[in-house]
Amino acid sequence: MTKYMLIYRSPAAAMQEFQPSPEQMQAMMKQWDEWKQAFKDNILEVGDGLKTEGRVLQPDDTVTDGPFIEAKELFGGFSMIQADSFEEAVKVSRACPVRHMPGNSVEIRELAGY
Amino acid sequence: MKRQAPQLVEHFFRHEYGRTVAVLVRRYGASRIELIEDCVQNAMALALTSWSQRGLPDNPAAWLMRAANNALIDKLRRQGVGKRVLASQAEGPTAGLEPEAYLPAEVEDEQLRMLFVCCDEALEPRTQLVLALKILCGFSVAEIALRLFSRDDAIRKRLQRGRTRLKALSPSLQSPALASLQVRLPAVQRVIYLLFNEGYSSSKPEQHIRRELCAEALRLGELLTRHAVGDEASSWALRALMHMHHARIEARCDETGAMVLLEEQDRNRWDKDEIQLGLQMLVRSSSQAEVSRYHIEAAILMEHCTARSYEDTNWKDIARLYEALERRHPSPLYTINRAIALAQLPPGQDAGPAAGLALLRSTTPPAWLARYYLWDASMGELLRRVGQFEAAIAHLTKAEQGAPTEAEKHRLRARIAQCEAAETS
Repeated sequence: MTKYMLIYRSPAAAMQEFQPSPEQMQAMMKQWDEWKQAFKDNILEVGDGLKTEGRVLQPDDTVTDGPFIEAKELFGGFSMIQADSFEEAVKVSRACPVRHMPGNSVEIRELAGY
Repeated sequence: MKRQAPQLVEHFFRHEYGRTVAVLVRRYGASRIELIEDCVQNAMALALTSWSQRGLPDNPAAWLMRAANNALIDKLRRQGVGKRVLASQAEGPTAGLEPEAYLPAEVEDEQLRMLFVCCDEALEPRTQLVLALKILCGFSVAEIALRLFSRDDAIRKRLQRGRTRLKALSPSLQSPALASLQVRLPAVQRVIYLLFNEGYSSSKPEQHIRRELCAEALRLGELLTRHAVGDEASSWALRALMHMHHARIEARCDETGAMVLLEEQDRNRWDKDEIQLGLQMLVRSSSQAEVSRYHIEAAILMEHCTARSYEDTNWKDIARLYEALERRHPSPLYTINRAIALAQLPPGQDAGPAAGLALLRSTTPPAWLARYYLWDASMGELLRRVGQFEAAIAHLTKAEQGAPTEAEKHRLRARIAQCEAAETS
């Protein structure tokens, strides 16, 4: 099987406001558990979310506040999976709980294996 | 063969929010409420990813408590509040303990204490309720707004008022002992009752939301009577009446979620075990001479719950009990119920539909009640029973226009049809 990275993106505006309630968090945990169970042969790492605060080390060695605020979408998290084809990787991605939030996309990239 | 992974119980995160905040508020003082809530929220977000990756820890509650406490200590240290200062501020029998080492009974005590702290006399009952829903029950602003038919900004304003009050408390009141707050017991009972009613009486939000509110009220009621400060006759009466209402909740709605009137309910769907529980609590509540309003309401419910049928109900005592309630807490709603009870009795002196009607007519409803569809519905019903069909139709039509649900409108239209049929026959 080939390794893929799933890159989760949310519309920039939505990221700022989303503060799930305890009840919503429990529901999310259940969804992630169910996804893990359903695709346990594919999921290598459930991964993590990324906080909105960050830094960018520019090519000229300066450090600016990140992430790039001009972006309409923000890179919000990632998972690592393995699959036999892009089609299979898409199938796994379709069921991922990040898709419950409207406007979220999943970029699927094959690892180079360097 | 992979073993079934342990699952979190329903509402775990929401309930643990309340428990964790309560313990930390006791530990670090009510004035730090906002910081504490932030730390607990963040600990839960951390738990979400950590537990999704590594599975549930052996003691999820302790994990959360530790994570929140560590985050809090860290934040306080950055504010310049060192460990020695914190240790000197800690009070009570658990002062020396790490929060995650609290015993379940101690955590419960802190929850109850938090409830009493929320029921501050400087705050309106509704604000106390909102504070309790946020802090103790772990609902978000949006979730509270939905449940109380309010808007997010209105709820946020109430929370701000509540938190401001907590932050303004003098140092000596930051972590008072529960016993010192006993004077607030009536306010605490009122908030629990308010909460129960929001779930039981409202007809609009989803059924499961309404039941969840009732369940929260029942849970807080149990917390209350388990502690000496709440173990009073009035608390037991409150619990009795909540359980006797709750026992019938299934029968109150049909499959479509429409409300079913008491006279039409299938009594086989009443939870007999829960009614028994309510009755036991009612017995327990009569240990003292004191009779609270909850006692009277519970006594009325007892009549309904133990009656074989609507017709077979002890309406005479119910009418008398509503009269007692009216005397203590004059309310047109009690008058309406008394009139309906009287109307069930065979016509006689001060009894029967005519007597019920006379009672309603002698009452001047306040403007808010006169606009409420139930007033016209009751008038229309009694007029129908004494045979004044034209007047009945007028009131029932007005009631139908103001009825809040399609189910109610449907019921009233059926009554109107009954009157029209009787008129022409």
